[in-house]
Amino acid sequence: MNKLVAGGLAAIALSLLAGTANAESLRVALHGQAGIDAFTPTAERIEKNLGIDVEIVEYPAPDKDYMTKLLTELAAGNGPDLFSIPSAADVADMVAAGYLAPVGAELAAWPEYADFVDVAKQLAVSPDGETYVAPYILGIQQIYFRRDVLEKAGISTEQPKDWADLLARAKEIKEKTGSFGLLFPAGVSWGGGAFDEGFSHLIIGSSTPQLVTDDGKFDLTSQGVRDVFQFYKDLIDADLMPVDPLLGPEPWVIPKYEMFPSGELAATTCGSWCYIFDWGRESRNPIPDVTNVVGTWADPGQNGGEFVLANLGAPWAVNAKAANLELAKKALLEAGSVENQIETAARIGNIPASNAVQRDPRFQALTELVPIQAAANHGTYLKQATGMSVVSEGVARATEALLRKETDAAGAQQILVDHVRQTLGDEAVK
Amino acid sequence: MAFDAFQKRKERQLLWLLLPALVPLLILTIYPALYAVYLSMTNEALTGVAAAKPRFVGAANYLRLFSDGRFWNSLFVTFVFVVGSAIIGQFVLGFISAMALRRKIVGAPVFGAAILLPNAAPEVVAGFMWISMLAGGDHATLSKILVFFGLPYVDWLQTFPLFMVVMVNTWRGIGTAMILLTAGLAAVPAEVYEAARMDGANPRQMFMRITLPLMAPTIFLYMLISTVSTISVFGLVYALTRGGPGNKTEVISVYIYNQSFAAFQIGYGAAGAVVALVVSLALGIAYVRSLKVEV
Amino acid sequence: MAGISEKRSGAYTLLAYVTLIVISIFCVLPFVWMALASIDSNVQLFLKWPDSVTFDHYTKVFAEENGVRWFANSLFTVLSATFIVMVVAGLGGYALSRSKAWWKQPFLYAILLIRVLPSTALLVPLYKILLTANNGIGTVLRPLVGEHYRFVMQLFGFIDGYLGLIIVLATGQLPLALWIMKVFFDGVPKDYEEAAILDGATLVQRIRRVLIPLALPGLAAAGLFAFMSAWGDFLLPLILLSSPELQTLPIGLFRAFLRVNEIDYGLLAALATIYLIPAVIAFSFARRFLVQTFSGGVKG
Repeated sequence: MNKLVAGGLAAIALSLLAGTANAESLRVALHGQAGIDAFTPTAERIEKNLGIDVEIVEYPAPDKDYMTKLLTELAAGNGPDLFSIPSAADVADMVAAGYLAPVGAELAAWPEYADFVDVAKQLAVSPDGETYVAPYILGIQQIYFRRDVLEKAGISTEQPKDWADLLARAKEIKEKTGSFGLLFPAGVSWGGGAFDEGFSHLIIGSSTPQLVTDDGKFDLTSQGVRDVFQFYKDLIDADLMPVDPLLGPEPWVIPKYEMFPSGELAATTCGSWCYIFDWGRESRNPIPDVTNVVGTWADPGQNGGEFVLANLGAPWAVNAKAANLELAKKALLEAGSVENQIETAARIGNIPASNAVQRDPRFQALTELVPIQAAANHGTYLKQATGMSVVSEGVARATEALLRKETDAAGAQQILVDHVRQTLGDEAVK
Repeated sequence: MAFDAFQKRKERQLLWLLLPALVPLLILTIYPALYAVYLSMTNEALTGVAAAKPRFVGAANYLRLFSDGRFWNSLFVTFVFVVGSAIIGQFVLGFISAMALRRKIVGAPVFGAAILLPNAAPEVVAGFMWISMLAGGDHATLSKILVFFGLPYVDWLQTFPLFMVVMVNTWRGIGTAMILLTAGLAAVPAEVYEAARMDGANPRQMFMRITLPLMAPTIFLYMLISTVSTISVFGLVYALTRGGPGNKTEVISVYIYNQSFAAFQIGYGAAGAVVALVVSLALGIAYVRSLKVEV
Repeated sequence: MAGISEKRSGAYTLLAYVTLIVISIFCVLPFVWMALASIDSNVQLFLKWPDSVTFDHYTKVFAEENGVRWFANSLFTVLSATFIVMVVAGLGGYALSRSKAWWKQPFLYAILLIRVLPSTALLVPLYKILLTANNGIGTVLRPLVGEHYRFVMQLFGFIDGYLGLIIVLATGQLPLALWIMKVFFDGVPKDYEEAAILDGATLVQRIRRVLIPLALPGLAAAGLFAFMSAWGDFLLPLILLSSPELQTLPIGLFRAFLRVNEIDYGLLAALATIYLIPAVIAFSFARRFLVQTFSGGVKG
């Protein structure tokens, strides 16, 4: 029996030996088939240019499960060398935990970095002034609406002037077509989306557009936060937003992949990727002629104005405890390269962070994305701070209570404030 | 004196034999349980400042826990889950199956095998299969069946989430209950029934006056064991609902997981774990006591 | 009088049939969906008769996904853990049966209580302990194996390594197995051993020549239950493993299921069916031991 076990071990050892040629290897964490496919050419470039093996580790797919696995390993000190961070809201906390290696000097010395749009560079800087992530794609989010559905019902497709106008438009859609008028991601099971893809759209146009004060505290008791929750409440109470699917697991599946393509939902927040990934050529349930059928509005401000919400799309970072830090940082620049930006944009539909793509015919071929890339140069963003992921979770809980009709706007704000206060301590909140 | 020395040597030998089992149990279960108690008094986290510099916070996590509505909710959900699936669902259906199979039934082994099949399904597979049965409103298999009979359907995991989770866990345990109760029924002497029949007792009376009282110890034992093992169910609920919608199916094991690994608050999650440990241990001790084993 | 009673008995039998049929359908229906979905060329999330029969999903599991590897990993880790459990619990169960020491009763109660600990409660401390062990063994092995460090650690590491997973899986099954073996040895008369002692046999000889042959049925029961429980465990591999080379079936299944917007139900059903089969086989053998072992090895 012992011989049998030893034999089995030897066989496995041999099969593992067979796959390795280069001495150094770099472990890269990724998730989702699309992300892995997009990264494959970059992995080959890293192997060729740096003479090392790249080992791609597939982590669980939804962002929340990915973060669980990644943080468990980073906390334990055995994380991957190079990884992407799905929600930029998590970056500041990971910096505070000491997981990320500073890369500001490397980026500054990298000639290509000069071409990056300013918003991307600013977003990459952490509260302590150092840069720990390489931006490569941007999430440029707006409100996407079914032009065909609205036109058929004789509803205006003009840019809404302010929140009241947006709400009136959603009501009109409900009355004339019976479809849900507007979706902002909300609730706990959407993970970071409730904050990144929902709450953020509104807060940047509110009377208090930032959540972080100059001294790094959170200002969550502001009138703006209250008004944002009131907007959610109005949407939910008037039955303008599909609530039931948001309370289940994988809440995005039914509204985004079923209701919007079928016209049962006429408008939703989404990013540029929606044209390709959610409803376009990479989708399982594509909308024919998507760029004409689906139009975009910028986020209107509470009292007017237009905002294009920009955030870092899954920025790359180097493990502070990487086996070979120098090598991992070199690989990081490859991950931030224009080539990877374009390949990822083509796969996932995010917006490249470098203006250099404007001169590149491969990007020009992605006609859906070209105008959005130009708009990225005047994007608006939320300032980050340590504890942002806690605020994000608090917003998810607060909007969950609104979805369940358990509270009003003031109550939701209280849930957010209480959660942040309890988790981070009184001193973190203004 | 010589005998004593022999006995001592023998006991020492036996201890050596037990050692390979003792060491991993101490290191990998007893020590982690004690360590969880320590963690519950820190603000240890997976990310943020507390991940780099965790500090001792005393009873703060426990105070927060007892004022956390979501924690009380998880205790309530766990209670409904255990009572609904282990004590009512599995027991009643298992008992009915066992009683039915006592008759001369054609194809009894086939029925037995069918009812036992869910016991063999790993948790992840069970969760996956039941998503097909329940998820997606009109797409769900259960909805299709009801529509076939002209009955209305709902979105099962949204409308009756806790009831559905209870049902699925019931499904997994009918077989075990059936087998154990069959053994208990077989132990009731046939002469007792014979005598009762002579006295003119009807089947209902025989069930109430003979079967149930004689089965009481078996039933009690079964309920204790299934209660204790149902409290720690995790994979099934996690694969099926992850505790949602809202927190409606967040049993204590899922609550602990969500606090520790989804909200990344290890210390706070550990406090929840310690409370779960204490409750489970109290029930476990009741279980051990009631066994009255001669060891 | 007898007529009424017989008629009533007939009605009860009919009722028994109806009840059994309903409960059986309830129990089997999800399996029917899974089996049909795994061979349906146009698979849907709900139960339906296959449009046409195909084995593409199974081919895909093995050709496109790493099905062979996942299966081999699951089988290797779970069988190793089962083997360890049988050896360790066999020895320990014998000791527990024959000992008259004071610690015996507290120990038996203690391991009964271990079975009630919720596994999520122990996860974080367990991870920390394994990590310490992992760093320890890494420090020892790194200078010895040089450039082969990575895959040596995949074999002997405690985190993201076979050894760690096997040991943790085995430990989890030990309490029940110890009880099964203890009760089993209680039923083995001491005469045989005493005869062997009189013949001058040592402890090792006694175990090899007398006890192992006698203990085989008990070991079979302990092994089967350990196998089933370890085979179904999904939380431990989820937390402990990351390398693609080490993935096991439940994790492959879980991940395939979580691929946002890319869920392939045919593939999932095929994968789940493959994962289910060894569990059903083990269970069909273990069924006869169910009554004795359900109560933790205590005769109900």
